[in-house]
Amino acid sequence: MTLHQVSFTVNGKKVSVEVEPRQTLADVLRGQLGLTGTHLGCEHGVCGACTIIVNGEPARGCLMLGVQAEGAEILTVEGASPDEGLSLIQEALREFHGLQCGFCTPGMVMALHHLFSVNTSPTEEEIKEAISGQLCRCTGYQGIVNAAKAVAQRLQAQQ
Amino acid sequence: MTIGARIPRVEDARFLRGEGRYVADLAMPFMVEAYVLRSPYPHAIIRSIDASEALKLEGVEAVFTAADVPADLGPIVCRIPTHGDLSPYLQHPLAQDRVRYVGEPIAVIVAKSRAICEDAAELVEIDFDPLPAITSPYRAIEPNAEPIHEAGNLAGDWGFDLGNVEEALKSAAYTVQESFSVQRHTAMPMETRGLLASYDRGRNLLEVHGATKVVHTNRNMLAGMLGMSEQDIRLVEPDVGGSFGARGEFYPEDFLIPFAAKRLCKPVRWIEDRVEHFGAINHSRDSDFVVTVAADENGIITAFDVKLVTDMGGYIRTHGDVVPSHAAACFPGPYKVRNYRINTKTVMTNKTPTGTYRAPGMFEANFARERAIDRLADKMGLERAELRRRNLIPAEMMPWHVGTESVKRPTIFDSGDYPAVFEKALAGYGWDAPFEREENGWLRGRGLCAFVEPSGLGAFEGVRLEVDQRGNVTIFSGSSNQGQGHETVLAQIVSSIIDVPVEKIAVRHGDTGIITFGGGTYASRTAVLCGEALYNASHGIRDKALKTASAKFNIPVEELELREGAVWQAGKNEPLITLGGIARILMPGNPEFLKPPSDKNIPDHDGLVVTSYIRGVPGGTWAFAVHIADVLVDPRTGETKVEKYFVACDVGRQLNPLIVEGQLIGGVAQGLGGTFLEELTYSEDGQLTTGTFADYMMPNVYNMPPVSTLVLEDVKPEGNVLGVKGVGEIGPSGVAAAIGNAIADALKSNTGLNILPFTPERVLSAVPTVTR
Ligand code: FES
Ligand code: FES
Repeated sequence: MTLHQVSFTVNGKKVSVEVEPRQTLADVLRGQLGLTGTHLGCEHGVCGACTIIVNGEPARGCLMLGVQAEGAEILTVEGASPDEGLSLIQEALREFHGLQCGFCTPGMVMALHHLFSVNTSPTEEEIKEAISGQLCRCTGYQGIVNAAKAVAQRLQAQQ
Repeated sequence: MTIGARIPRVEDARFLRGEGRYVADLAMPFMVEAYVLRSPYPHAIIRSIDASEALKLEGVEAVFTAADVPADLGPIVCRIPTHGDLSPYLQHPLAQDRVRYVGEPIAVIVAKSRAICEDAAELVEIDFDPLPAITSPYRAIEPNAEPIHEAGNLAGDWGFDLGNVEEALKSAAYTVQESFSVQRHTAMPMETRGLLASYDRGRNLLEVHGATKVVHTNRNMLAGMLGMSEQDIRLVEPDVGGSFGARGEFYPEDFLIPFAAKRLCKPVRWIEDRVEHFGAINHSRDSDFVVTVAADENGIITAFDVKLVTDMGGYIRTHGDVVPSHAAACFPGPYKVRNYRINTKTVMTNKTPTGTYRAPGMFEANFARERAIDRLADKMGLERAELRRRNLIPAEMMPWHVGTESVKRPTIFDSGDYPAVFEKALAGYGWDAPFEREENGWLRGRGLCAFVEPSGLGAFEGVRLEVDQRGNVTIFSGSSNQGQGHETVLAQIVSSIIDVPVEKIAVRHGDTGIITFGGGTYASRTAVLCGEALYNASHGIRDKALKTASAKFNIPVEELELREGAVWQAGKNEPLITLGGIARILMPGNPEFLKPPSDKNIPDHDGLVVTSYIRGVPGGTWAFAVHIADVLVDPRTGETKVEKYFVACDVGRQLNPLIVEGQLIGGVAQGLGGTFLEELTYSEDGQLTTGTFADYMMPNVYNMPPVSTLVLEDVKPEGNVLGVKGVGEIGPSGVAAAIGNAIADALKSNTGLNILPFTPERVLSAVPTVTR
């Protein structure tokens, strides 16, 4: 199988990797770059566990090919986490028990990260819409929505 | 006191930062990947398998078929007692000469990458002789049905007959008979299964990562199958993306992957993909009931007469017949009904084998019983809560012996004041509050159900508690964790007894290398059993620390106390010695105390370490719960919308209310999935037709109503020292019952609401023609 050289930026660092044409971007991130925070729950675009931010937009790492990442700016959960401790979103998810097994969690964090990067005061409806493509089998979503509502409130209070 | 504190979980940070380590995140040098080649046929004879072309493909290391496993390797055994002998129905890790469901493992291909494995799979030539597939248990037990196993398709035919049901039916003022059907669906954790096995041939050591739930049991089973010593095998649980009863049982792959690693002397990793998971993980539920319930003119229920048929799938797995067993043992629920009869048939079909899913047998039985009771109430013209009120087991009749047994354990409801909880639940929700029956053409209904839920089952649990020289505390637990929050809750128990902050207490679990015996995590047992073992171990640490300080400083134990991670003399404002200091004193070989043991001396030199194993209570401990829901139904389309959902339960004592609430709400979500959306359907020719997340719908955020909870701590069970009851299964257990009753109430109709899931078509068929 021929390998392709692909260069892109991930979490602020420039990387260059050799990938097979059939490799998904999620596989490249996980297998070649060790960014295992991006999870694979279905590999067919339904569960959202693999959600990452590509050029400012949420994307499914399992539906993109590695070769499509050429020149892209990618953010994964590792890049959305502070060096130490937790981000505002992460802290709220913890406080409101928005996670149990943690498998869907990186995808949730990224979906919310994107939401708050474009809208600091989302309504409950907007929050639900933002995570409507993310499946969580453990929490029943209530803690996640409550966490996001708290983030919105806290962001308002900061302004 | 940290027991009972509503504190966020200590394990969350790593998951939130993407630093959880799940099995697919693990790798080893020279690791190869495995792929399980599975049957495309639901029922067929395997005439021959030719892997020679596959083996020629570059990168392929091996192809293992049934011919490669030792000839005397038996099937995977069932790990719990069953009703009758189910051994003729057990599954071999690889199909021998016949396949019995789509997805049955036939071969294991090992190659440099998963992609090469998949290419190689295309090259394996298998000559099948297809046989007729049976997908209906009723068809399976017809006299002329194709036998799926030599022993026949009817695996079990058993039941209970208590009191005098015939007489009760004859003299009843009212009887209702209804049929109910609970569809096949299953746990569907967000992480698929996976294993990474490696074998050190020189030292004959086998290590398997990716095990979970019952790692010691599985280790022992694996040792037996591989002919190895139990201590030469280590099973390790990494972070696990949900279990809910289905994951972590001993599956064919749990033999095959370690077997391949041992044969090849290379690390072998297998990561299931989602499509594979659909056909490979235990399915569950899949039970039909015919229920007759009888009552006298005062609304006292006098008998339950039940027939139950459970579709077991192609083989009996490690759980045997737990689902129908629990359903049959617990069918009478929280009601004082002494005339109870059930006949249970467990039937083999050409579908994926079944096992447990959160609230096994209980979700099913609760649905059938509670729907039937509503029917009875309607027939009698009695308010639905009132009928239940008249029949609940009163507190003074506790413990209540149902007279049945499940997995050879007697069904004993150990404790609780059901009537009191029931009234609190009704008041808490506002059951009697009037509501609008109609809104913009939609109809509103309210439904409830009451039930009991077992927890804390299993023979034993064990922990070891260690304090190091710096005062750090580590819990080595025989239980395991798949997201329930044990790392927090177990630390809370220890923290409250030895007064060390939760953050300083690490929890290690799910690893046969860290503790000799372990029960594992199932049946909502960890808080109850592991909790008690930890309580004992913590007191052991406390006593040992005080005794040591007493000997060292020559102060009577009665004048000493343990707090803030140190030993203090009463009335002094400086601690005598820290726990770390005590641990240092107690280190083996500490010259200060190398004297023959005596009363005056330090008790021993085996560290500030205490191991505690505790025995389970045979019948477990049972929680009583009430679910109530308001549902809107569109009689024109059959669409439904759950407006609000409510769970009330008495759990004895909460260890962490945040986690209790999370278990309840998350459980309700799964129950709603099983009530409205999820179904594993098969075509008549035995193919799974809902084999992806695009066809098998699970609740997303839009499917969730607001869920509120009322968690009571009224009656502490006496069978465990903490006075706790498990909460893991209360969430899903009553959902189908409460929702079914609410929809029936909205439509003032019952036809068609006995079959799950409640799709719009089914609901529409329940709409009385006058309303339509
Ligand atoms: S793994 Fe990408 S959406 Fe499920
Ligand atoms: S926390 Fe387990 S899937 Fe969301």
